[in-house]
Amino acid sequence: MILSKVQQRDAFITELRARARLDANMVLITNDQGAAPLDGYREELPDQFINSGVSEQNIISVSAGLTLGGKKVFVYSIASFIILRAFEQIKIDLCAMNLPVTIFAVGSGYSYATDGPTHHATEDIAIMRTLENMAIYSPADSNAAAALVDISLNCGSPAYIRLDRDRLPAIYGGGHDFGAGYTTLRQGNDLCILSTGCMVSKALEVADRLENDNISAKVIDLYRLKPLVASGIAEAIGQVKRVVTVEEHCRNGGLGSIIAELLADSGLALPLRRLAIEDGAVFGYGTRDDLHRDRGLDTDGIERSIREWLI
Amino acid sequence: MTISSTVDLRKKTNQLRNWIFEVSIKSGGHVASAFSCIEIMTALYYGGFLKADPKNPQAEDRDRFILSKGHGELALYTILADLGFFPAEWLDTRYRAGDCILGGHPDPKIPGVEVISGSLGHGLGLAAGISMAALMDGRSHRQYVLVGDTECTEGSVWEAAMFASKHRLGNLTCIVDRNHMGVLDFTENTTGLDPFFDKWMGFGWDTVTVDGHDFQELCAALSRINEQNSDKPSLIIAETIKAKGISFMENVPLCHVYGVSKEEEIQQARQDLAWRSGPEGESG
Repeated sequence: MILSKVQQRDAFITELRARARLDANMVLITNDQGAAPLDGYREELPDQFINSGVSEQNIISVSAGLTLGGKKVFVYSIASFIILRAFEQIKIDLCAMNLPVTIFAVGSGYSYATDGPTHHATEDIAIMRTLENMAIYSPADSNAAAALVDISLNCGSPAYIRLDRDRLPAIYGGGHDFGAGYTTLRQGNDLCILSTGCMVSKALEVADRLENDNISAKVIDLYRLKPLVASGIAEAIGQVKRVVTVEEHCRNGGLGSIIAELLADSGLALPLRRLAIEDGAVFGYGTRDDLHRDRGLDTDGIERSIREWLI
Repeated sequence: MTISSTVDLRKKTNQLRNWIFEVSIKSGGHVASAFSCIEIMTALYYGGFLKADPKNPQAEDRDRFILSKGHGELALYTILADLGFFPAEWLDTRYRAGDCILGGHPDPKIPGVEVISGSLGHGLGLAAGISMAALMDGRSHRQYVLVGDTECTEGSVWEAAMFASKHRLGNLTCIVDRNHMGVLDFTENTTGLDPFFDKWMGFGWDTVTVDGHDFQELCAALSRINEQNSDKPSLIIAETIKAKGISFMENVPLCHVYGVSKEEEIQQARQDLAWRSGPEGESG
């Protein structure tokens, strides 16, 4: 697959700048995080940019205050820092008052590979999906990331957008409508692989390999994890015999848990295999490929796990 | 409603203290915390400083008050009810009771309440954001935040303090209810806040210390802030006494969570508060 031209963060900020140029009420606030497109944003729109320094708790409270004052606020940070350090501010100042602040955070999963556990966001989905009113997006490529600027501007609630740090394979063309919450990228009858973020392209590759052995795999990109389009996904899943989830996230509370709950709530008695980071293997350092391989989350590992399960 | 004389402000405060106490006997609440800050809030709401209209609580040009120490809720609720933001009966029927619209901590669902509060360390950052938005848009309303002194052991307070001074939020006034007590003990026996004045000065705030139970000092400080129109955020350290007005609770550790329920204590408290509200109430 061909890589996206830019990484998700850069695509998002470029789109954000284009929108902010037309709307003086839009404000970007960051805890001293840089990005190449951010330099252009700062230069062009200095009155719509705040570097609040390394103060995650205050950034969320200030963002809530700015929103109460009529601003449309986008918070840019590293995912692990802003979600975990400021979780209570997110709960109280954003969610309890349902203020439409968008947190777009780079570093989903093992994006910051060799930088280690302080920078990894391997539990963010589990944590954030406990919050009432919070929307969660996990785009699979840069076009999807850019489209989330408009979606978050109009969603009317707090939103968390987890962005990858790498250039991911391009899956979507420009102009795709991301309003549905999920996309069935590949049809299949034997099993359904649901994935999100950087793992979607791996799921597609695995499905192609399985096809060589006449195993027909449907692939769904679940880019909106909350609110979940439960009925549509249940209908899609209900047409296959088995379900697999693939995520770069700890096993507890992530995509696999979401789908397990959906199956139970929908009364679908389908076998489910959850491929994720197992408890005991979350914290580590290494290249991203090595981290994935060691946890069975590289393409070979995912394929192997599915084949072993099907035997 | 603006009250210009300190004598009348004192009468209003005494009335509110009695009301708060009677509500607390019935429904609970943080009486000690309300009694340390009631003069501060009376000065703001009745002294002509906070522009707030009960008929139009969401008016865009209103001044914003944030009770960051949300456990002062009884002081806020009685004042808002007294001013007509909502019916006074709510304190009998809906405070920690019924549909609980008046909860144990403030919520913006309540007319006249700007933000949710109760977890400490949020209010100053919220007010800083509102203040910054106002400056961006050229709106002239002021923000007043009341924080507890023990709340200032939260790191987020100082994150917000740095932010406010860096961004020259001269439309932001923070008042610290310096009653020197947390829940278990005096502040200086726990983390320690002193030199408190120097800390705020060092963080770039225009800082002044007043007697938080003295209307002349409170009103003078608030007037000076309005008149000088500085681009520095303002900080008033209001020296207060926790549970001020109830003789057996004043400055007593654990008074924060103490609910007066014994009959002899109720009578004693009523006697204390009646004395304060009598003709010689000025001496209280």
